[in-house]
Amino acid sequence: MMRPRHLLCVVAATIGLLAAGPRPEAQEAASVRGRVAIGIPVTAKRATSTYSRSVQTMALAPESELRHVVVYVKDAPKTPLTPVNAEIRQKDENFVPRVVAVPVGSEVTFPNDDPIYHNVFSLSRTKTFDLGRFPRGKSRGVRFDKPGLVKVFCQIHSHMSATVMVFDHPWFAIPDEGGRFDLSGVPPGTHQITAWHERLGDTTLQVSVEPGRAAIVDFVLPVPAQP
Amino acid sequence: MKTPPRLVARTLMVTFVTVAAILTVVFIVITLDVRDRVRAAEIDKLRVSESVFTALEAKRRQDQVAAMATLAENPTLKAALDTYFSERGFNGSSDEQLRATVTGETAKLAASVPAEVLAVVDVDGRIFTSAGPLAGRWPAGEEIRIPAGTNPTFEGVVVLPSGTFRVSAARLMFDDRAIGVLVAGTSLDANYAQELSNLSRAGVVIAVGGSIVARTVSEAVARDLVASDEEGGTRTLGGEEYAVRLLPDLEPAHVYTLTSVDAAAHEPTQAALYALAAIAGGGFVLAAIGSLWLARQLVEPINRVSGEIATMAAARDFGRTLAPTGTSRELDALTATFNDLMRGLGAAEAETRSAYLGAIRALAAALDARDPYTAGHSERVSTLSVMMGRVMRVPTDELEILRLGALLHDIGKIGVADEILRKADPLTAAEFEQLKRHPTLGARILRQVPFLTAHLPIVELHHERPDGRGYPFGLRGDDIPRAARIVHVADAFDAMTSARAYRAARPPAEAFAELQRFAGTEFDVTCVEALLTAMPSSQDVPEPALAQLLGRQLV
Repeated sequence: MMRPRHLLCVVAATIGLLAAGPRPEAQEAASVRGRVAIGIPVTAKRATSTYSRSVQTMALAPESELRHVVVYVKDAPKTPLTPVNAEIRQKDENFVPRVVAVPVGSEVTFPNDDPIYHNVFSLSRTKTFDLGRFPRGKSRGVRFDKPGLVKVFCQIHSHMSATVMVFDHPWFAIPDEGGRFDLSGVPPGTHQITAWHERLGDTTLQVSVEPGRAAIVDFVLPVPAQP
Repeated sequence: MKTPPRLVARTLMVTFVTVAAILTVVFIVITLDVRDRVRAAEIDKLRVSESVFTALEAKRRQDQVAAMATLAENPTLKAALDTYFSERGFNGSSDEQLRATVTGETAKLAASVPAEVLAVVDVDGRIFTSAGPLAGRWPAGEEIRIPAGTNPTFEGVVVLPSGTFRVSAARLMFDDRAIGVLVAGTSLDANYAQELSNLSRAGVVIAVGGSIVARTVSEAVARDLVASDEEGGTRTLGGEEYAVRLLPDLEPAHVYTLTSVDAAAHEPTQAALYALAAIAGGGFVLAAIGSLWLARQLVEPINRVSGEIATMAAARDFGRTLAPTGTSRELDALTATFNDLMRGLGAAEAETRSAYLGAIRALAAALDARDPYTAGHSERVSTLSVMMGRVMRVPTDELEILRLGALLHDIGKIGVADEILRKADPLTAAEFEQLKRHPTLGARILRQVPFLTAHLPIVELHHERPDGRGYPFGLRGDDIPRAARIVHVADAFDAMTSARAYRAARPPAEAFAELQRFAGTEFDVTCVEALLTAMPSSQDVPEPALAQLLGRQLV
């Protein structure tokens, strides 16, 4: 059984390869690099539910809030892409990872690692589905044909949520644990670069990409308003 | 001068005033006592109802929190809400079907909670959607302040433009990520106040920030309550005393329960008053009976004694004594004193009377003494007359008159000259006329003495004859008073049996014969017979006996 972090590395690597592969244009491309930071730690543990979990482990703590960020070029042109397979596991009553970014046409599978039933469904316009309930060891998948944001929930465990972001271009990335990201092969010109966080929302910066030079974009995500 | 009141009136008045004073004092004491007790009871009642309210409220909150926590786990609601806001963040727009889903779920949940309104509030604190009977008062977009905190649930009071609500809230969470709040609200309005009022059996006033939100008591009282800064269990509101209690844990709303001590005291006071009225009625009746009895006890013997005295006074009978009543020492002392007084009076009168008689007797004796031949005449005529009167059954009081009248019958002879009285030779016509004036003369003398009024006819008429040939008036038969007729016969008898200057004394038998001869003409028949009866058979009576009887030596 592969650990989620390793899986994520695999996925990221795949994406990187794909992005680096076919050049959309004959132009000399450049990369956009930078760091993402969050104003204050939002990982401070709070009581999340009046009910205790049926599975209690220290793994409840998320990797890093920064892993819940997707950085992408907002105004990128549509680009044909090779679909990939990605995985969001259901482990310890959590979706792991909580945030996944895939190109259009990719299939995401949802293996159940927990000794209990889970359900996977989405109400998002981009892809509405309900995979039904399935026990440990089973896995069901869904293909995402349209770009957009898909929120995924478990009907049984209402505290579980995950996000699948589907792009029709290759310029998107999930920062590493240090918050670093690298979008390579971005066509020159002025671009809107957005850093999305599942709770903090969008932060968009404008950047001018010049051929052969790496553009540096650093994000500081705002502190969310607490309800 | 005013007539003094009757004794009965006095005793009645004194008793009634006493009873009324006692009842008044009792009434005041009872009223104050009842009021104190009621005040304590009302304060206690409010305290108890507050404990009950607090206990119920704690239970309700617990239930509500549990219910809300459960509702806040609704996956469809959460998924739709999270998807809605995530999509809007990502695309700038979102599917209104998602909003409809949230609204639909909220409506379903609202049907299962006892709250009047159930709302989903977004992370910005604005109402996303609301359902329930009062949903209209919680319009979408309205800001609602649920205090930020670490607790997943919240209980409290929030103030909206449309009213004040008690709310229970539970956060909608995905792990550590809050996406909104589910809020259940109950309006703190008249209905709530009424319900609370029914539960606590007291008046309820709900105020927020100094203004009245709902009340079950009059507006004036509620205003006074909100304005008053008094502390403690009782306050004076709208001129009445109220027991007041502020229910805890409902800030910023102030929920007061209050009851009027006056109103609560009214019923027991009334009851006490009725009891007292009954007692008063009985008391007055008993007092009336008692005082009437007492008055009777006092008045009845007094009336009896005064009646006896009145009778005695009317009969001029002063010889009788009053019997002691035996009812009170004072009254017996009074009758004893009265008897002493009357005894003294009687003794004095008897003394006066005997002095009178002595004087009259002395006068008559003096008269008789002018002529040795007539000495003792008046006494003898008096004795004979009384004897005859007894035979004729003359009443006792008339006998006394007869005795005295006979003694005085010749008093008029005072005015007749000695020569005529003592003359041994026959009188001339003129001299006889002089002598015949003596009855009229005697009457004239005695008329001066009121005490002798009754005796006058004897003196004036003792020479009248049944045949009308007597003097001075020549009255006939029964026109002449009986006493005068008796004295006439006795006078004649004594005259005949006494010696005179011109003749010797004649024996009684001869005198009887003479009387009998002239009975019916000169002398009254009945009187002559009475004399005969009084002097038992004149022939048989030995001389000395008669002499002794008449008190003189018959010659």
